[in-house]
Amino acid sequence: MVKKEVEKLLKKVQKPARYTGGELNSVVKNKEDVKLRYAFCFPDNYEIGMSHLGMKILYSVVNERQDAWCERVFAPWDDMEALMRENNVKLYALESGDSLDEFDLIGFSLQYELSYTNVLNMLDLGGVPVLKKDRNSLTPIVIAGGPCACNAEPMSDFIDIFLPGEGEEVTNDLVDLLIKHKEMGSTKLEFLREAAQIQGVYVPEFYNVEYNEDGTIKSIENTENAPAQVKKRIVSDLDNAHYPKDFIVPFIDVVQDRIVGEVFRGCTRGCRFCQACFITRPIREKSPEVINEQCRSISDATGYDEISLCSLSTSDYTKIEELIPMLFDWALKENINVSLTSLRVDNFSDELMEELKKVRRSGLTFAPEAGTQRLRDAINKNVTEEEVLRTALKAFDGGWTSVKLYFMMGLPTETLDDIKGIADLAQKVVDTFYRNPNREKGKGVQVSVSCASFVPKPFTPFQWEPQDTPESLTEKQKHLLSSTTSRKITISYHQSETSVLEGVFARGDRRLGKVIYKAWQKGCKFDAWDEFFDFSKWSEAFQECGLTTEFYANRRREYDEILPWDVMDYGIRKEFLIEENKKAHQSVTTPQCRIKCAACGANKLNGGKCDARS
Amino acid sequence: MPEVKKWAMDVRMSFQKTGMAKFISHLDTVRLITRSMKRACVPIWFTEGFNPHAFLTFAMPLSLGFESYCETVDFRLMEEVDLEELKVRLNNALPVDITVKEIYVPTMSPNDIRWAEYKIIFNNPDNVLLNTAETKLSSDEIIVEKKAKQGRKKVNKEVNIKEHIKSFQLSEENGKLILNTVLSSGTSININPMLLIGALTKGTETDEQDVDIIKIQSYTESMEVFR
Repeated sequence: MVKKEVEKLLKKVQKPARYTGGELNSVVKNKEDVKLRYAFCFPDNYEIGMSHLGMKILYSVVNERQDAWCERVFAPWDDMEALMRENNVKLYALESGDSLDEFDLIGFSLQYELSYTNVLNMLDLGGVPVLKKDRNSLTPIVIAGGPCACNAEPMSDFIDIFLPGEGEEVTNDLVDLLIKHKEMGSTKLEFLREAAQIQGVYVPEFYNVEYNEDGTIKSIENTENAPAQVKKRIVSDLDNAHYPKDFIVPFIDVVQDRIVGEVFRGCTRGCRFCQACFITRPIREKSPEVINEQCRSISDATGYDEISLCSLSTSDYTKIEELIPMLFDWALKENINVSLTSLRVDNFSDELMEELKKVRRSGLTFAPEAGTQRLRDAINKNVTEEEVLRTALKAFDGGWTSVKLYFMMGLPTETLDDIKGIADLAQKVVDTFYRNPNREKGKGVQVSVSCASFVPKPFTPFQWEPQDTPESLTEKQKHLLSSTTSRKITISYHQSETSVLEGVFARGDRRLGKVIYKAWQKGCKFDAWDEFFDFSKWSEAFQECGLTTEFYANRRREYDEILPWDVMDYGIRKEFLIEENKKAHQSVTTPQCRIKCAACGANKLNGGKCDARS
Repeated sequence: MPEVKKWAMDVRMSFQKTGMAKFISHLDTVRLITRSMKRACVPIWFTEGFNPHAFLTFAMPLSLGFESYCETVDFRLMEEVDLEELKVRLNNALPVDITVKEIYVPTMSPNDIRWAEYKIIFNNPDNVLLNTAETKLSSDEIIVEKKAKQGRKKVNKEVNIKEHIKSFQLSEENGKLILNTVLSSGTSININPMLLIGALTKGTETDEQDVDIIKIQSYTESMEVFR
């Protein structure tokens, strides 16, 4: 419910329906009837936040309880923020219209490093002190989860509790505990002490970090009985894990505006650059019956006309051939489209291609990630050029005329030859099209090459590697452009300065909190958006704090250096990561988990179980 | 071969869009109604092209920020159904601020719309507006600035809309100025009330955005209620 003074502002902003609430399936409770109010905050705009599956799941987990009410909060766009500040309107939750400072628990989803300043800005707009040391009462408690929680150190000045791993169970544990301490009238410290005993709860203030002269970490000491290492939480059995029966249906078009069927968690591939793969292990699959039923239920409750199957690599789902016909059976009759994301080129079967032809045809995307076989071996992307071209041929046979190719630049061991390899591979895809007698007549082919800058991330075999410098990346981008001769190929790449910042915070320590605070005070927000990103402000902030981006991003770390995220236990053994790092430098691949278990160690989180080994 | 009609009924649904729903744009309203039809299991006819989609025809798009009591959308039903029961089902599937008033077999075409009645509420009118509104509306020339195109160039054109104002009535209530007016509407000429509001607030201190606009009714040339 939007309050009257807000309604006035809405007439003056773009896309006012971002701020109204009242969407179908949003949950409105009576605040007198609940013991705890939870504000789930997504530190980006409405369209991005409303597309996020994790939020839908946790919203539903909390709202299923009688004693708690979860509401949604998003970062207002700058036109709305300006009006709110001008008229002293605090940032409010969409369901009740109540401001953030009225909540007991404020949870942020940290999906990418470049959203950090938005966290500060949202707290400030909501009337909540930004620094955790300035929040002395029991509530509000500010918590954060998501992939960035695996190295939460740079945000530890602002967040009371981090939740590494999956949120379904630990959220309930925390809600229970906070209700108990509210009733007991405890202090914040008393609550935090007990919270730190729950598996998957990291309370940064209970850990003292000492530094060496050179800026590296000397020691991390745990206090207040908090565990020396915080083990991430996982849901053991996905079939019985909570999944929403409906989704909120936004009024405006959001990025991911469809039914999402989650098929499995984790990834068997072990590509060495990919953080998602390692921090979401062990592999746990959902059964096709359960996925089908969940999609059916959300379809009935929303009226959506599209289902998207979601995982890190959907064609690796072992029961995909069972699931697809099950879904098609009812979905096609009701004019519902089924789309698959994250397909791999090496297991794209003819049957799957035939099935996919039945539904609306979207673009085809492959991710070879690197231009030469040597580099693909180094990063353990077990895809060959032949496979890429064979799949492209299949797709052209099937009537596709545009292909997207995803690559990375700045990978460890990369040379200019590898960059030229990107252009060569794209050219071979173009040639494959024109050599194919069955191609769609009268149409040209369009190959879009998208090049991301590689950022080394914690809990990957590349966590010790120096990140490529912006200068080197710019040179490589130029080299790629000059190596591309065909007009059928379009090249796009990322701004390298945003990657620098991403890299700094991904592997940063808690001294960076000062930098984030300063940058926010200088006006940094929505750093992931080109129209807002201002690297000069960030450079000033680093300088004023006496820190450099090079120390965090471009330095090679020794295997025995204490890393800021050593305090977290994601199940992955460090020895395994060292081994993988060494193999990368020798361009030696590691077979994927279904062929041979590489003993990464993640299965110990699930009592030794891993669905990659059946 | 004679064309076979593949649907059973052509119907029109009239609905109101009030409160917070005024912030839902026209395109978003189209999607919202489509999804509501699906949730309510309305046996609606889909187009038969490569990308089948629900066939919906809205008489007139409603500007963002306007409330309305007289929106209509036409669609086709694959089978004969009880229209009263259908209305109840749809209302259960729609958000609170969008309500179906009636579903019926139409007698007129959307092309028959010629006039629309609006209620315009100035929430904080200044004295200048209160003193000049009547005179401005009664004068022979009401000049508004209309956005137009000259070739590819976008220009502002001054237009006299006097002949497009069929009637008006001013009143004051609790410090608010209320204007009831009937303006040209339809596919050929359509006068957006914002133009008139712009002309009236020009030269005053009144905030032209602090105005509530409610579309009350659509009429034909002979001022028959559009059905």
